[in-house]
Amino acid sequence: MTGILFILFAGLAIGCATSMVVQRNPLYSAISLIGVFISLACLYVMLAAPFIAAVQVIVYAGAIMVLVVFVIMLLNVEEEERRPLRLRFLIPVAVILAAIFFAETAFIIYFVQASPVTLSRNVSDVGLTSSIGGGLFTTYLLPFEITSILLLMAIVGAMTLARSGGLLSSRAAVVPGDQVFSKELLDRREPGDLSAVTTHTTKEAAQLLGVDKGTK
Amino acid sequence: MEDLKQIGLISLGIFVAFFVVMTMVAYTVLAERRVLGFIQGRLGPNRVGPGGFLQPLADLIKFIFKEDIVPDKSTRFVYFLAPLIATVAAIMTIVVYPFGPEVQIPFINKSVQLVIARFDVGLLYVLGVTSVGVYGIALAGWSSNNKYSLMGGLRSSAQMISYELALGLALIGVILQSGTLDLYSIVEQQAGHLGITGWNLIWAQPLGFFIYLTAAIAETNRVPFDLPEAETELVAGFHTEYSAMKFALFFLAEYVNMFTVSMLATTLFLGGWAGPFVHQVPWLGVFYFFGKVILFLFFYIWLRGTLPRFRFDQLMSFGWKYLVPFAIFNIVLTATLQWSGALDYVAAFLKTSTGWWG
Amino acid sequence: MIPQLSWYLALSAVLFTIGVVGVMIKRNVIAMFMCIELMLNAVNLTFVAFSSFFHDISGQLFVFIVMTVAAAEAAVGLGIIIAIFRNRESLDVDDASTLKL
Repeated sequence: MTGILFILFAGLAIGCATSMVVQRNPLYSAISLIGVFISLACLYVMLAAPFIAAVQVIVYAGAIMVLVVFVIMLLNVEEEERRPLRLRFLIPVAVILAAIFFAETAFIIYFVQASPVTLSRNVSDVGLTSSIGGGLFTTYLLPFEITSILLLMAIVGAMTLARSGGLLSSRAAVVPGDQVFSKELLDRREPGDLSAVTTHTTKEAAQLLGVDKGTK
Repeated sequence: MEDLKQIGLISLGIFVAFFVVMTMVAYTVLAERRVLGFIQGRLGPNRVGPGGFLQPLADLIKFIFKEDIVPDKSTRFVYFLAPLIATVAAIMTIVVYPFGPEVQIPFINKSVQLVIARFDVGLLYVLGVTSVGVYGIALAGWSSNNKYSLMGGLRSSAQMISYELALGLALIGVILQSGTLDLYSIVEQQAGHLGITGWNLIWAQPLGFFIYLTAAIAETNRVPFDLPEAETELVAGFHTEYSAMKFALFFLAEYVNMFTVSMLATTLFLGGWAGPFVHQVPWLGVFYFFGKVILFLFFYIWLRGTLPRFRFDQLMSFGWKYLVPFAIFNIVLTATLQWSGALDYVAAFLKTSTGWWG
Repeated sequence: MIPQLSWYLALSAVLFTIGVVGVMIKRNVIAMFMCIELMLNAVNLTFVAFSSFFHDISGQLFVFIVMTVAAAEAAVGLGIIIAIFRNRESLDVDDASTLKL
């Protein structure tokens, strides 16, 4: 029974992963990846790790992929074009190497099957939320705290990167090669004066500002 | 053989629960139209059967026979997938709710707990599945190839993921007090005297309850948070281009979501199947459960008839700047009271489940 | 036919390999990012399989931390992708291979 379930979920995971790599439209790749995550969550439940399965669905399939799907929709990502296949002579080499790899894996699995390590059913308390919570707050307290700082860094970093005015605030003005000033200092004109201010060189900007460096 | 019997029992439970939930959802649609009518000073639909009793059947027949229009340039696979994701994610959550205590089924003479699947991360399962339900809306907005749909879909999904955060944080207070994520155990702990005094709403989590209720109404895209799908605002939001059966699936998904959220609220805050005389007559628990759920649904409909809707930026700033800090404050308060032992006094008095008349 | 540990490890190896192939083949930055997430998940599966077959909680705790780090990385990575897109108007990795804008 569990063998059939394993083959089902593993087949689903491999199928969705292959589909993700093969698809040219990135939205279909994202949907296939969600399929991989959900089948992996089902495998985690079979491995007696229900908390990790639920967290996988909430974090990966429910948050990270939503972010990726939003980015794909907002940037209106196009399909990849087909490219002509170069280096055609490598295809037989790849087939031979894959066959060797497959034979190796079958060999290993066959010989391990002779001395199986079975998963004892319903005995362990390993996957329960209480044991994860216990471990997280006693032995692994330091990684937990550092992870929370990491998340804070991620929030600040994402907000800074996504700002539309660049990394400087809107009240700063840059004199190229010299300094960063506040805009009121640099742009001394009457309010209501709508003519454009252009400076093409550092020297001009420095003169406008009044910070001439002597005979330079 | 034992495995097959188990599977058979669970399948039977799923069929019964699905049938009951679908029927109740269909009559919720009718009830909404009638109650809205009464609030607005008119009668709702009352022609089709006695008092409009057969109206859901008429609606179903209409939806089946309507022409199914597919927009020309839409992404076809995603267009067909989106209502499926929304509906499946909405319905999948009903397997963890405890509909009643341990009852004796009359013909088989076996005593069974009225919950389809009881595992110890039930609450996280519900949160996970509702997170996946956001995809239905985002993909529907995108695949319709219509800028109003896209705007509606993106706004709606942004609203849903923002309020999911407040929802999860509001539930942490309940988890802290009950010490378990299993919904059946949380209900069992709320029995108290006469089945009423132990409810989490009254003494344990009043602030948590109101945060949860607000976040849940925003999560299901109902008034006052329904700007992304209101008819007067963005044509019809993300389901503009859907007709006939696919629109019916979205409609169904919204009402099942409402139902799910009401069931979660009764389980966590209102005591689920707990009520007077439940230990003597276990089947009463089912009536209490559905009675409380109907109370919440009536509250939803009442809100729809009464409140105006929020603008989208007001909605987002409310979710992030007010609801999340309140929820965090609630967690800190609950944790402090729990740790200092102040809650144990109250618990000893209010929450013993062998009190008068159980 | 009870699933053995080796089955889970083989599945994890296959998923990891598919992820590596995806990173090498794809030219779209977002698709490459998704293949990296697939590789992370394959490693998560290995951790959880070992944790359950040897009755040790540390594997699942590691998976928890890995998921958190992956979420943080997703947020910052997508922010970088959006910033690159704003400057170069293209999501092709080959177009971003020179320093000059």
